[in-house]
Parts: sequence; structure tokens; C-alpha cells
Amino acid sequence: MEIGEGAAMKCEICRESVATVHLTEISNNMKKEVHLCESCAQEKGVAIHSQVKNLSLPEFFGQLTDAPPSTEKQKKAQSCAVCGIDYQEFRATGKFGCASDYQIFRKELDYLLDKVHGAVQHRGKMPMRLGLEMSKRRQVDDLKKELRSAVESEEYEQAANIRDRIHMLERG
Amino acid sequence: MQLDDFSTRAGEWLSGEGPHSDVVISSRIRLARNLADHLFLSRADDRQKRLVADEVSEALDSLDGSMKLKRMDIEDLDSIDRLLLLERHLISREHAFAKGARAVAFDAGETTSVMINEEDHLRQQVMRSGFQLEEAWRAMDEMDRRLEEELDFAFDDQYGYLTACPTNVGTGLRASVMLHLPALVMTRQIEKVFQAVTKINLAVRGLFGEGTQALGDFYQISNQRTLGLSEEEVIGNISSILPQIISFEHKIRKELLSSKREVLEDKVWRAYGALANARVISSKETMETLSLVRLGVTTDLVGHLEIHHVNELFLFTQPGHLQKVEGQELDSKERDIVRATQVREYLDDLQAT
Repeated sequence: MEIGEGAAMKCEICRESVATVHLTEISNNMKKEVHLCESCAQEKGVAIHSQVKNLSLPEFFGQLTDAPPSTEKQKKAQSCAVCGIDYQEFRATGKFGCASDYQIFRKELDYLLDKVHGAVQHRGKMPMRLGLEMSKRRQVDDLKKELRSAVESEEYEQAANIRDRIHMLERG
Repeated sequence: MQLDDFSTRAGEWLSGEGPHSDVVISSRIRLARNLADHLFLSRADDRQKRLVADEVSEALDSLDGSMKLKRMDIEDLDSIDRLLLLERHLISREHAFAKGARAVAFDAGETTSVMINEEDHLRQQVMRSGFQLEEAWRAMDEMDRRLEEELDFAFDDQYGYLTACPTNVGTGLRASVMLHLPALVMTRQIEKVFQAVTKINLAVRGLFGEGTQALGDFYQISNQRTLGLSEEEVIGNISSILPQIISFEHKIRKELLSSKREVLEDKVWRAYGALANARVISSKETMETLSLVRLGVTTDLVGHLEIHHVNELFLFTQPGHLQKVEGQELDSKERDIVRATQVREYLDDLQAT
């Protein structure tokens, strides 16, 4: 967005009020600008993230009046077998005790992560070892599909080649 | 001890070089990582912390070339040296004064560093002078890839890299730029920058992290989200808004120079006069006057100083650095005197050459 430009602009949703919330969304390397008035912006939920920022996690929990339903019902707190913490303890400190906590508290966590990050799925880099395994798995899946269609169309010589490539990938 | 020459030289990221260094002091990338089969630090006892520290140190030893790092155990350092590392952005305040086995490793130019056993098992960091976020990320990515050959990082298909605090989960990436925006502060336009930046989910902070009141017109902009965006997207978000902030600051500096030149010149040289002549100077006054002098240097009102001189003075006037020079602990009144002397001598030396 242009900083320092004060020209009055109409809200893109209601087309009536003056747009005071200017968002720049960047997805797939495309920059898209959205201009909204305060109330439409709040309805769209864009105000949430700016309220969340700069709070520590325990403070953030304190602000949540609508705690995820599952935690309210779970009176008997489930605790992690590896590090021993339960969800209440995590809420108090804002810190997990081990990697398994991310599995144990998955249900509550998705709700929290959505509030904090606006997302629940990682989209960045991954460890090379996993990346290699994953790309190998994908290649094998693709080849198996090719193999099926080669067999169906009775191209046996090609099918044999594909089978050899699958074996090589699975062995290496 | 290696830290002895810290009081006379600054890290390379304060060299005042690199793109847009008149406005962008430095670019920083930080990555949080944990080892897969160790408890996170809040639950680890000292023996377990030592195991982690040993394992990470061994992995760091395998790095070479520009990534060759020297390791220091924080517990072996006295409080002045800890402060020194903190002021040089090599460790955090928590890391400096927490308890238990923990370490830091960094290269000679202080552009690459790793905190071991801070909030996460590893906090890797790359710093660059000026606006060089993308270059910093490439260096960071390379180091992370090399460490990954030696270490098994906690990773989940859905959540990405697992961190002690879920506010860092996913990429574990915090990208930030340190900006000097005196003209925008002077003309009360800085609020517009805050609004623009927070609207795209970026955070603005004062010079040394926490707290909103920035001394000396320095602001840090960093990403908030670590989950759901790729590393390139996070860096792209900051990189896309930064040119607008830089040109906004430039525009106002130019306007001030043409419409209020004498007033600006007066402010800058009075600030210089205070720094060059004061016998007692607080850290607050130093920050504020150095900020004005920096503005003077970047707008050619002050000819005999360069940006790196001012950057160095910002660092050398911090409490840890003053105490290092004097070789003893000083209370705040004593520091104000030593600070004034140090700045005066520094500026005298420059004038003499």
C-alpha cells in the first residue's frame, strides 16, 4: 500500500463508508490490494491478527473468552507421556515440553494456531532427508500409475522398464 | 580472552555498507530448531541440557569456511562479557542471564551465530549490513542445510519445524530489518508506517526488541506469522513494503533539507556539539543525539563522519562496552562519565586524522 497517501477511498465491500483499512495480500507472488472500512474489515475478520500481535501466549489465552470446546469438556486433563505436561500447564507458560506435545494436544492446537498464524499447515522448507523420501515416494507413486496403464494397453516392454525403475528407487 | 577487542571494533553488520544503509541499519534472519529426541528446554534437566549442547557443538564443529564458528559457554563468562554479547546481538537477554548449560557460537565477523539452549535447542542467526534480507536468508538456508546433515531436527508434516513456543512453529523463521527513521519521527508521520506495517501482519518494535518506545528513532520490523507461509513468502512480505518506507523517509528528509535546512542543520550540529563536548552523558541523550548526527551524516550536513562511525558509537556507548573498556563494573552515574569521555575521544581522534 502507499504510505503517506491520504486520499479518501470507498470501501470495496459496502461501497459506502470511507476505507480506512488497507491490506496488501501477497499470494503466489501476486500483490493484491484491498481497501475496506473499519466495520467491513472486522466482519471479514482481518482485525484479529493485529489484536493478537505483541501479546505473550499466556496473555493471549487470557483474552480468549471462547476457549475451544474440547478443552472445556475435558475435565480430566490429558498429559503427555514423554514430558508430563498437560494442556493447562501449557496454557499457563505458553511453552511445550517436548515434540510429542504437538501430537497429544493436536485438537486444541489447531484452534490456537489458526488464531495466532491464520493457518494450521506448514508450507515452508522441510528437512532434506524427508524431502528426499517424500519426492521418492511421489516418484514411485507416479511410476506405479504409469505401470498400470502400460499393462492395460499391453505395452509389456515399457512396463518391464518402468518396473525396473520402481525397483531401483525402492532399493536406493 | 577473545572478547577483549570487542570494545574497539564492531561486527561486520554495523559496517554501514550494503543497500540503503542510510535508512536500513541491518537485516537479520533467525531460525529456531529443536533436536527430535530430546526434551524441550523447559522440561530438560541440566544433564539433558549438556547432552544437547554437546551434540549441537559437535555438529557446529563440522562447519567450515565462512561458517566456522567459535563456541563459548555462557556459564564461563562474567556479567560484563554477557552484557557485551547481548549488546552485539549475539545472544538474547534471556540467554545472557538464564541458568543451566548453554552456549553461543559465532564467526569472527559476527554475522553468523548460533545460540544453544535458549528457548529452543538451536537459534541460528545471520546478520547483514543494510537491506540484504534475501542474501541473509540464502546464507541461513545453507547453514541450516549443513547442520541438518549432522542433526535430526524435530519436524512434523503438518506443523513443520517444532518449537517450544507455538508462536514460532512452522518455519521457525523470524526475519527482521532495523530501520533508522528520524525524519518520519520528527514530522510525526511514523504512525503511518506503523499502521501500514501492522496491517500486513508485521510487527514493529524499538531498538532492543521488547517495548514500544524506541529511543533514537530506531525501529525493527519483523514477521509475526511462522506457519502457513514459505520462508520466501515471509521475506517477500517484508521486502515488498520496505522500499516504500525507505522512499517515504527519503522524501521527508529531502523536504526538510529544502524547506527547513537551517533548523535541521542547527539540530544536527547542536547534537554533535553535545557529543563532542559533554562531560556527563546519559544513554538516552547519547541515543537521541547520535540519531541526529546519523541523519546529518546521511544528508551530507556532517562531512567528516561516515555511517559506520556513528554505528560504532551506538555500540561502544552501551553499558557492557563501557565497563569492558574500564575493566570493572560501573554504576549508572559512573557510566555517564565514562561514556562522555569515550565519545569525546572517539570524535577527537576522527577530527585529528
